[in-house]
Amino acid sequence: MVCNMTVTKVVEIPLVTTEVPIGPQHPALHEPLLLKVYADGEEVVKVEVNTGYNHRGVEKLCEKNTFYRDIFIAGRVCGICNTVHANCYVRALEYLLDIKPNNRARYLRVLAMELERIHSHMIINAIMAEIVGFETLFMQIMLDRERVMKAKEILTGNRVLGDYMMIGGVRRDIDEVKRARIRDLLVKLKPRIEFYKKVFEEDETIIKRLVEVGLLKPVDVTSHSLVGPVARGSGVRIDSRASDKYDAYDEIPFNVITRTEGDSWARMMVRWDETLEALNMCLYILEKLPADGNPVPDEKRLPRVIPQGESYARVEAQRGELTYYVMSDGKSTYPYRVKIRTPSFNNIINSAFMYVGLSLADVPVALTSLDPCISCMERVIVIDLEKNTKYKLTLKELAGGRV
Amino acid sequence: MSSKRDLFSKYAVKVDLVKPKRTVFIIRPENVRPLFKDLIEQHGYESFYISTIVGTDLPGEGKIRLDYYVVLLPEEETIVVRTYLDRNNPVIDTLVDIVPGVFNGECETHDLLGIFFRGNPYLKRGFFVSLDIAEKGIYPLRKDSGV
Amino acid sequence: MKRPKLVELVLQNLLRKPATIQYPREKTPVEEDSRGIQYADLTKCTGCTLCALECPADAIKMTPIPQGYEIPAKNPKKIYPLIDYLKCVFCYRCVKICPVNAFIVTSKYDIAGPIQINSEEYSLSTVKKVSG
Repeated sequence: MVCNMTVTKVVEIPLVTTEVPIGPQHPALHEPLLLKVYADGEEVVKVEVNTGYNHRGVEKLCEKNTFYRDIFIAGRVCGICNTVHANCYVRALEYLLDIKPNNRARYLRVLAMELERIHSHMIINAIMAEIVGFETLFMQIMLDRERVMKAKEILTGNRVLGDYMMIGGVRRDIDEVKRARIRDLLVKLKPRIEFYKKVFEEDETIIKRLVEVGLLKPVDVTSHSLVGPVARGSGVRIDSRASDKYDAYDEIPFNVITRTEGDSWARMMVRWDETLEALNMCLYILEKLPADGNPVPDEKRLPRVIPQGESYARVEAQRGELTYYVMSDGKSTYPYRVKIRTPSFNNIINSAFMYVGLSLADVPVALTSLDPCISCMERVIVIDLEKNTKYKLTLKELAGGRV
Repeated sequence: MSSKRDLFSKYAVKVDLVKPKRTVFIIRPENVRPLFKDLIEQHGYESFYISTIVGTDLPGEGKIRLDYYVVLLPEEETIVVRTYLDRNNPVIDTLVDIVPGVFNGECETHDLLGIFFRGNPYLKRGFFVSLDIAEKGIYPLRKDSGV
Repeated sequence: MKRPKLVELVLQNLLRKPATIQYPREKTPVEEDSRGIQYADLTKCTGCTLCALECPADAIKMTPIPQGYEIPAKNPKKIYPLIDYLKCVFCYRCVKICPVNAFIVTSKYDIAGPIQINSEEYSLSTVKKVSG
């Protein structure tokens, strides 16, 4: 029987895109950040990065505290990269004071920073494994990361917050017993890292989720000021360790890792290779630690007033180039201006264009591959920033072409 | 490398130094945009990135100093483009349409110091600092803000 | 494609005892010289307040030494640094900056609890109680 049905139901297909908020409380993100994702079906057409859940206003706080108190405040901008923050600030002050620490202190600083790089890269790779749903690998990496934390505790006196940097040197020395213990821990860690690198290279789950997700072209990297492993994963060689040669990086051999693929997988592989490089650097330092005097300066005798002037220090933090600008007016014990620019500030806020064209499920993967550090980003810049798209054309094309 | 520096020297009023060995080119505010335009035209996007924008309030001189820290690639040399703006009317042309990487820096500087970047459609007061402070028209990093 | 032997690893871990530590029933091992709580030795402290000025967290408050304790003659103001451990960030700036090295350092870390904790008890235990 032919049914002459009248239309009883109308299915309206919305012409607008769906807005999917990812975060600030989301199982995939461990830090408070809101990605407002506008999706057309499964495909992302626009992303707004909304932040401001974590802001404290550190730059103003630094102006209100003395130079020396700021060393510890700088170290607390970020938990995972605390020694690099402190190192960068301390070096900015050293440039103003024209103090150069002795060789032993310079080597020990690099040792602390490279240990931090190892554990930071391990944690982000672990989180990546968790996000793609590979929790066993997450647990395994975190278990081995404990070895580095122990090494850091032996060196600096605390697992996470080292408070290791001081103007003119470091805050505690290392003896033969400690040296042997740290070396022992690192030697045991090395085969594990090689194993995890192999897992990331060969495992089907990881390759299916990471390869060709979140592609970044070199020209996008430079025009959007992306730094660190994100830039190096796209073949842009930016590494302030190699170019500024601060501390002992001019004497310790290491390779700058770059990859040309430019996807999430390449960024994670850059991190694994850098972990291995950092391990080798640590072993080199422990082997060849110079003994030219006491690396620990007497904190009671350090100058209270910093001479007038400006300095700008760069450091290669785990997430990329971190910069501190310090200006002293030469009159008081307070800095006139401290400007902190963290790598995540550039990498997260300026990279909203990267998500366009991905499927919704890939957004957390692409975000994690940038190694977001929200506390870094926000404490520093006091923001609640809304990223309006710069890609209106893309949006119209994508939305218009489809509907 | 020298040609890139020549470009900066062309616009520079004065050359200075920030420790350690970062050359500062002091240029007029209206020349900032042409300088970066020339840089992109002659050397392309992959020859530099803008690393940091630092604004400093100088109430003694009645000025706000604006520094663009530019890293030249591939040699990774940091140079500073410095300009001074009038404190009562700090306006400068935006770079966001030619160098998207300044987006975060411009927005931040606008909200903390009140510098207006002419032509930047994304500037909005009250998304850096909390709204109660922003509504009073306070720029926290100005020295007389009282924050 | 060659697969790494993750399955083997999982089986190995099944036979191993757990890697986690049942804190607080079982104490986390820490280094002897890791930065735990610190307190002033009142026999050495001169009450100069430098530590309170330098503390990045404002955790140190100079407090008068209560009645009934033997106060050394070199402490004319009769005050001592009272550290609020809940504010303290354990950077040991006070320890390093003290002109008379009056701070005693420990590796004690498990201070979290329901009560306000400060260095009063520790510091006062370094001086003798006088009767009356």
